[in-house]
Amino acid sequence: MPQLSELTAAVAAGKRTDTVRLTQELLAAGSAPQDIVEKGLVPGMAIVGEQFKKNEIFVPEMLVAARAMKEALKLLEPLLASAGIKPKYTAIIGTVQGDLHDIGKNLISMMWRGANFAVIDLGTNVSADKYLAAAKEHNANLVGLSALLTTTMPAMKDTVRILKAAGLSTKIMVGGAPITQAFADEIGADGYAADAGTAVDIAKKLVGQAA
Amino acid sequence: MSTPAITPFLPKWRGSLTDRARFQRQMHRQPVDRCFNMEFGYWDDNFKLWPMFRDHGITNNNDADIFLNFDRTAVVGSHWMHPTFPYEEISRTATTRVLRNGDGLIAEVPMDGHDTIPHFLDSSVKTPDDWKRVKEERFDRRHPDRKADIAAILRDHPANRDYPLGVWCGSMIGKVRDMLTVEGLAYAVFDYPEMVEDIVETSCVLVEDFLDAVLPHVAFDYAAGWEDICYKSGPLVSVGFFRDVVVPRYKRISTKLRAHGVDIWWIDCDGDVRPLIPHFLAGGVNTMFPWEVNGSGHPGESLDRWGPELRIMGGVDKMALGRGRAAIRQWVGSLVPYVAAGGFIPFCDHRCPPNVDPDDYLYYLNLKEELFGMRG
Repeated sequence: MPQLSELTAAVAAGKRTDTVRLTQELLAAGSAPQDIVEKGLVPGMAIVGEQFKKNEIFVPEMLVAARAMKEALKLLEPLLASAGIKPKYTAIIGTVQGDLHDIGKNLISMMWRGANFAVIDLGTNVSADKYLAAAKEHNANLVGLSALLTTTMPAMKDTVRILKAAGLSTKIMVGGAPITQAFADEIGADGYAADAGTAVDIAKKLVGQAA
Repeated sequence: MSTPAITPFLPKWRGSLTDRARFQRQMHRQPVDRCFNMEFGYWDDNFKLWPMFRDHGITNNNDADIFLNFDRTAVVGSHWMHPTFPYEEISRTATTRVLRNGDGLIAEVPMDGHDTIPHFLDSSVKTPDDWKRVKEERFDRRHPDRKADIAAILRDHPANRDYPLGVWCGSMIGKVRDMLTVEGLAYAVFDYPEMVEDIVETSCVLVEDFLDAVLPHVAFDYAAGWEDICYKSGPLVSVGFFRDVVVPRYKRISTKLRAHGVDIWWIDCDGDVRPLIPHFLAGGVNTMFPWEVNGSGHPGESLDRWGPELRIMGGVDKMALGRGRAAIRQWVGSLVPYVAAGGFIPFCDHRCPPNVDPDDYLYYLNLKEELFGMRG
């Protein structure tokens, strides 16, 4: 039976074939799906996040690691669902209205999944009303707003305003190429992440989980 | 190209050198009469929204350069697919259209045509078999249309011209990213590294063919290229792959350029380029353009760190331009010692966005002349 640490190393190195094989072997040997996620996959993505924050790796390595994790989750999620096991926290994510870009948003989504958040991805060009409806429907702990363009920053501001006005306890986190901490503060967002590495730490902090 | 109908809106900055001599001297950190005056350009929306453009019929960046009376530059050369993929509409929704572009990428764009970066959905090259087919169909180095027209270059840009002329050295990895998508490039470097290296090699050979044809006949003042292979938080390509596969091709090109006296090579690369700077420099690319501040930080920090080997063009924070005159004065003022040191030509760190107040933009241009022109 393989060790969970081998799975962790395979994810961190982006080896998707090994990741899938090790996941299958761990399941066949009787490991609990939740353990495989929490003690095998999540630590692998945590390593990737740390390396990213230290500029030891960049987006390509992160994408490849996230792809490996995603392949393993395809095997595990049905088993987790049938056992009624859900992640503790739920996040909504999307790119704000008027903006069709999704690389940054997808990366954050994958990193949050890798940190064992349930992630509802609303896609791109998402209206404030759609964010609000999804936050209510899923009782989300966190809403993530992404923007690539300076021209869609006003849509981000409007979305934050509408979400805040609804009086939900959901925390709002923003990010994207033109976004800064100063802008996040100005529009009343609860958090800002400069990159996909820190996005996990900020998300955990916002939902009250120790980073 | 010069259009006689355009009446300059601003006077040309006073100077005693030609634009060509000024550019050459400034990029080599030699004394100049004043700073080279240029800007990268504007988003399409600026031409509709800014009264100075809209009211004078200025609709594109070439015309804007003449209208605002910037110093002149020109670049010749083009190397990539030939022929390109045919443009076609794949589908449409109420708000967007899905198109296949010339690189074979399938991209979603807004139906209303407003100015934006396309949202890329899929690539026409995903496997070595795809690349083999595309290479045969679109990257034939013997295609007659790839032949350099030396006479036309010399006719359009005579040897006694008074402006700097650049030779286009294309892209070794950015166009690969364009063809494969960001995610596709990341996965391909991992899954099919030999395929990606062959695409890079193909790009390099096409540039080398062009350089072999033109360099003996045309005295270029600089080389130029484009990569856009970084985003706000760093490179979009594995740094190891860049170092091991891309940089050796830069070196080959740089060797040819330097053999003909071309020792300034700028590459247009947005985002945080800092992790790639040592590798660019090792490959002979010594000038970064347009130095996006939100990714790469204040240009002075990197000019101080890397010393005279690194040059920067750009580095005026577009966010500061949008924050009003106090922020503009503060930012532009912080650049004064770096312009004085040479090897740095300041301009907005990308196309100037439409959220910048046009009056503030004119204030910015005027301030640049005050601080960096002969008026100061």
